Amino acid sequence: MAAHGAPGVAQRGVGMAVQPSEIRPGAEFFLERTCEKTTPVYYAAAGGDFNPIHIDPEVGRAAGLGGPILQGMCTFAWAVEAAVAYVGDPTRVTKVKARFTRPVLIGDTVRIRGRVLSVEGGRMTAELAAVNQRGEDVMRNGIVECRTGEGA
Amino acid sequence: MLDRKHVGRSYGPFLYEAGAEKMREFAFAIAGDVPSPVYTDTPADVLPRDYWDRDFAKARHGSLVAPPTFCVNFAMKPFFAAITDREVGVDFLLLVHGEQEFEFLRPVRPGDVLSTTGVIADICEKNEKDFLVVRTTTVDAAGREVVKAVWTAVIRRA
Repeated sequence: MAAHGAPGVAQRGVGMAVQPSEIRPGAEFFLERTCEKTTPVYYAAAGGDFNPIHIDPEVGRAAGLGGPILQGMCTFAWAVEAAVAYVGDPTRVTKVKARFTRPVLIGDTVRIRGRVLSVEGGRMTAELAAVNQRGEDVMRNGIVECRTGEGA
Repeated sequence: MLDRKHVGRSYGPFLYEAGAEKMREFAFAIAGDVPSPVYTDTPADVLPRDYWDRDFAKARHGSLVAPPTFCVNFAMKPFFAAITDREVGVDFLLLVHGEQEFEFLRPVRPGDVLSTTGVIADICEKNEKDFLVVRTTTVDAAGREVVKAVWTAVIRRA
């Protein structure tokens, strides 16, 4: 189960979401995933993006990217799942946006970090960022909005 | 560089019928597993039950629900159509995904028949790179909005 991330890093699953009352500005949530050799291919099969720069090592190299790169949307999916796990319900995520700043390559471990900015009227806004194992940004300027479940 | 005359060019509607197993496979893939019921035992420790456990999801949501970003399977279609449109002339090899934005108006459920349209909302140049922005809207069979998205491609110079 190594693909699910290192122990100790919040891999929140069922029943591990925080209570709505614990969601407050400054609170943080994390999720870690590694891009294995097969990850871009599996993501392509599930999400439909078969651009050869994600699949074919030669094309990835020809594109000057050093090999196949992970679909930005897979990193984005991980970021959204970090928020889903935090609020405990996928239907509570209402809006999300982010900018991709650097390709994720095979062997990279991506650490998603969310930080709650504001909570008001049963809704929270959090910033989202992702770094690789060298601490370099792969995704930044991320914002996610969710219902907290308070009063639901 | 890309010609701004393509701003306003539209794509679709494209139809997509959501299915439970495809939704589960997507959930497996983003949890780090193989998108296949043959190869994957549901990783219940990391995967919300809302995505795979029929009874749990039915009690909570009325049916299984898709992971929010499952919408790439249908909402990306007009973006793909734009970046592969010969008239627009994007070089696929020089393209990377620059920015993404989603607004989720309701969860996607098995059996949903979804229709997506998109329009090139902007073409501009920044730091020697071309930016192509496509806005998409997905509606259900009753015409209610399901997902709105903004897709930004960044095209590097050769």
